[in-house]
Amino acid sequence: MKIKIPFNIALGITTEVLFALSIILAAFLICLALMLKT
Amino acid sequence: MILKPRLQDIKNIGYYLGKIIIGLGLTMVVPVIIGLVSGEINPALDFIIGLETALVFGLILTKLCFTEEDLNWMQGMIAVSLSWLAAMLLGAIPLYLSGHWKSYLDACFDAMSGFATTGLILVQDLDHLSYTHNFWRHLIMFIGGQGIVIVALSFFVKGLSGAFKMYVGEARDERILPNVIHTARFIWLVSITYFILGTLALASVGIFSGMKPVNAFFHGACVFMAAFDTGGFAPQSQNILYYHSLPFEMITIVIMILGAINFKLHYHIWMGRRKELFKNIETRTLFITVMVTFFIVALGLTQLNTYPKVMMLLRKGFYQLISAHTGTGYQTVYAAQFMREWSNLSLVGIIIAMALGGAVCSTTGAIKMLRIGVIFKALLEDTKRIILPERAVVVQKFHHIKEILLEDNLVRSALLITLAYLLFYVLGALMGMFFGYPFLNSLFESTSAAANVGLSCGITKTTMPAALKLTYIFQMWAGRLEFMSVFTLIGFFVAAIKGK
Repeated sequence: MKIKIPFNIALGITTEVLFALSIILAAFLICLALMLKT
Repeated sequence: MILKPRLQDIKNIGYYLGKIIIGLGLTMVVPVIIGLVSGEINPALDFIIGLETALVFGLILTKLCFTEEDLNWMQGMIAVSLSWLAAMLLGAIPLYLSGHWKSYLDACFDAMSGFATTGLILVQDLDHLSYTHNFWRHLIMFIGGQGIVIVALSFFVKGLSGAFKMYVGEARDERILPNVIHTARFIWLVSITYFILGTLALASVGIFSGMKPVNAFFHGACVFMAAFDTGGFAPQSQNILYYHSLPFEMITIVIMILGAINFKLHYHIWMGRRKELFKNIETRTLFITVMVTFFIVALGLTQLNTYPKVMMLLRKGFYQLISAHTGTGYQTVYAAQFMREWSNLSLVGIIIAMALGGAVCSTTGAIKMLRIGVIFKALLEDTKRIILPERAVVVQKFHHIKEILLEDNLVRSALLITLAYLLFYVLGALMGMFFGYPFLNSLFESTSAAANVGLSCGITKTTMPAALKLTYIFQMWAGRLEFMSVFTLIGFFVAAIKGK
């Protein structure tokens, strides 16, 4: 249990950062689509 | 019939207010130490004066109003709203003494902007402000973002029931752990963990870009505090544009998004329930509204061909959008560029994003994602009722940590707060127009102040009318506390005059 909590926190932080990066990636795809359209 | 407040009401409010003021005063020890260590003796003295003033007022209040009674709901709400005003008045003292603010009102404006995590500024010659004062500007954002009461709860307030009432009064209506003081401490754990990681990341980029290590860590810590607490102050007058660095901008985007996530959600993800991030109504709504508002902004920018390359559109368009949506207010374009280079469609996209905000129980302001999600679900429920046969039973649920049945009181509460924010945005815009500013500019600045964002299209200057400064201060204060505490305070004064 003592090992599990820091491990879970590290995985939790990674998940949250990946979520933020997925938002950036989705925005990039919108930019790309708009640029190709124009 | 309205009842006149009792002396005991005033004593209870005064006692807890005094405790919070002492807590606030003690936070000034940090800039005093920074001033002494960095050899900035005069700035350190400014903070010693501020610290002494806070301690004197705090101790007088706790002695005069000493009580062992716990707070009731009304007293808790009033103590919170007055605490934020006291924080502004006391936090502005060292700022004003620095000589970088033209008047005490300007210093109060920046102090409220800091505590309410807005980011609008009236400071003069920011690039030559002492490290000590600059650090204080960012520290008050950190304190305000966490919640002034959270700071006091973590260390000073013992009564759990009174503590919870003040916690709710500060627009934090969710208890992460059963004990509100443990909740406050968990909020600190998340913030400190990210503070270490975020500062290291930003400082590393700074060092690689050629900054001196001490300077890089100072900038890293300041920018992290203002980004995670969705504030928007920066150590230099050019804001994030000063760094001219794509990695720096990317890291701040990630920090801003992390700051816009509900602390309760952080808790569940950190405890191993990682799927919650993808099921939660707030994160889903955030993802959708960010994409929709960014599409509007990007469409507007491509109309005028403001940024002809994909990366420029992302760096400029998306950065301002995410800064607006999370309520941060970091800018990588100058205020004047918004009006000259951005189309009206893009500006409307930014205004909508500012008006929406991040998650509840996060450091952001504005309407917030849970309310938007609940209203959308209610709309869906009503549409289903019309389409389905009359006998059909329509039950709408949403996922926020657990499955929650969509009940009328939830929808009513979400709609009321949304309506209050919308009215507030419009009233502020009317004030701007009264002083001769164009409609779109007025709405932009008013939404930015009331939603605690901090993006500026150029209205916020020392030369703007004092009445408009006071309007924005009021908007920042009431917007941060989500109105209820402020309405209770107004009601308290009405009761004191008209009550029997």
